[in-house]
Amino acid sequence: MYIHKKPSWYLPDSGVTPQAAYLGRRKFLRTLGMGAAATAFTRVPGISATAGFPDTLNPSFKLSAVKLTPYDLITTYNNFYEWGLSKDEPSKLSNQGWKTDPWTIEIGGLCANPAKFAVNDLIKAVGGIEQRNYRHRCVEAWSMVVPWDGFPLAKLVTLSSPKPEAKYVQFTSFLDPKICPAQRSNDFAWPFTEGLMLDEAMNELAFLATGIYGKPLLNQNGAPIRLVVPWKYGFKGAKSIVRIDFVATQPKTLWNQYAPDEYGFLANVNPEVDHPRWSQRSERVIGGGFFSSRQPTLKFNGYEKEVAALYAGIDLRKNF
Amino acid sequence: MMKTIAAIIGHKAFALSVIIGIGVWLLIVPAFTGGLGADPLDRLLHVSGEIAIWTLAAVLSLTPLRVLFPKSRIVNALNRHRRYIGVSSCIYALVHFSCHLLYQGDWDDLLASFSKPFIWLGASGLLILVVLAITSNNWTVRKLGGRNWKLLHRLAYLAAAILIYHQSIAGKGHWYIARWLLFALLSLELARLVKTQITKKNPRTAVTTGSRQEIKST
Repeated sequence: MYIHKKPSWYLPDSGVTPQAAYLGRRKFLRTLGMGAAATAFTRVPGISATAGFPDTLNPSFKLSAVKLTPYDLITTYNNFYEWGLSKDEPSKLSNQGWKTDPWTIEIGGLCANPAKFAVNDLIKAVGGIEQRNYRHRCVEAWSMVVPWDGFPLAKLVTLSSPKPEAKYVQFTSFLDPKICPAQRSNDFAWPFTEGLMLDEAMNELAFLATGIYGKPLLNQNGAPIRLVVPWKYGFKGAKSIVRIDFVATQPKTLWNQYAPDEYGFLANVNPEVDHPRWSQRSERVIGGGFFSSRQPTLKFNGYEKEVAALYAGIDLRKNF
Repeated sequence: MMKTIAAIIGHKAFALSVIIGIGVWLLIVPAFTGGLGADPLDRLLHVSGEIAIWTLAAVLSLTPLRVLFPKSRIVNALNRHRRYIGVSSCIYALVHFSCHLLYQGDWDDLLASFSKPFIWLGASGLLILVVLAITSNNWTVRKLGGRNWKLLHRLAYLAAAILIYHQSIAGKGHWYIARWLLFALLSLELARLVKTQITKKNPRTAVTTGSRQEIKST
């Protein structure tokens, strides 16, 4: 089988729509008299709790020769099953009265410093935020490049000082069936939970994001605080987190419980291990338009150098 | 009033404009107004598949509806369009399949995709729909004979079963979409079965007299 060999940093420029074209598109819609369609992209979103923290790009995470996915696309193409099964629903349904400000996050479990924080106080406690450009690879074989604002998860772990018996970190998302209709059904094991091994959580790449492009997270992206683990499939990134617990055994996670043969606990991006229903060899780049070509998927999503050591001696085919 | 509505619904032009209109409204208009979102092809892929399977379900619901409501003018009017609806399901399924070809991007990925049950099940469902669409004309009905033709076209049920399964595994949690289709079709077929049993045993008496016992015994 012929496999394209491209350098690890390769992302085609053609794969990203210039911002001007996007702005132009709205103009086009308005001139067509499609006012409703045009405003659908400019609706006033819910404002999350983490406004007012200036940050700058951390140069170590610039990702040279990579074009960022436009803000419009990052905020309208979302998997956030609490707010609908299709990609365009979360940007609408999560902004109909769901309040993510104020927001409290509780840190507990096996640690010396359990605490409850207003999310802004947590940001202050870890010393503010920074910006990092990360590749984002969904298990559904599409990808983006997102400039996240936030802070390394390791800072929070250090702050909490886990006990020696703590081996995993569990993340729990919001649970509010009153405002979130999907959570009134038993289709999924709400609230959403995810987990990392403690050494994964301590890796410098693991990140708690509070913003995108220097703006506080919108509700559909997991406001006001969410997990970003760039070498793993996107579903590991718990959104709108209310609890972080240090635990001794591997925590149950929503997607792993739902279909253990499809969504492993590790969920490292791996082009060599297919999803039962599709290949993970390549991915579609969001922003490439109708005839967007695929690009090869990189092992650990291109972060092999930084994270491969975490999995020494682990069979990644079995532990997908 | 009912008569007029039935006359409109029963008209060829009505059927064609609804069938084509759905495609224009859900696939073509959004494609030209930016309404397909961040990954337009992905959206077309999913929407065309949804239209195809709901159209297939629509045509399959017509027979049980006619058995259940033999006197309804509207049901009878709709039943006149079975061929159009059935063929349109095949056409939307072909659009869906073309989107899949484009979506995979290159030959290696395309060929590899056929190793997944998700894909080859969808493709075999499509194959059935294509055979049924090709044989949906008066000439073939005459050539095959009514009985054989009917037998062949029962494959539509097999296609529906395969394709509902295909839909249910199309994404995380998609069973929660597909289940409505399955439950609706199954309950219609069940109701139809009960009704035929009743009329078989009691061809003359009113449905109400025998119905309770019959339901228990089935």
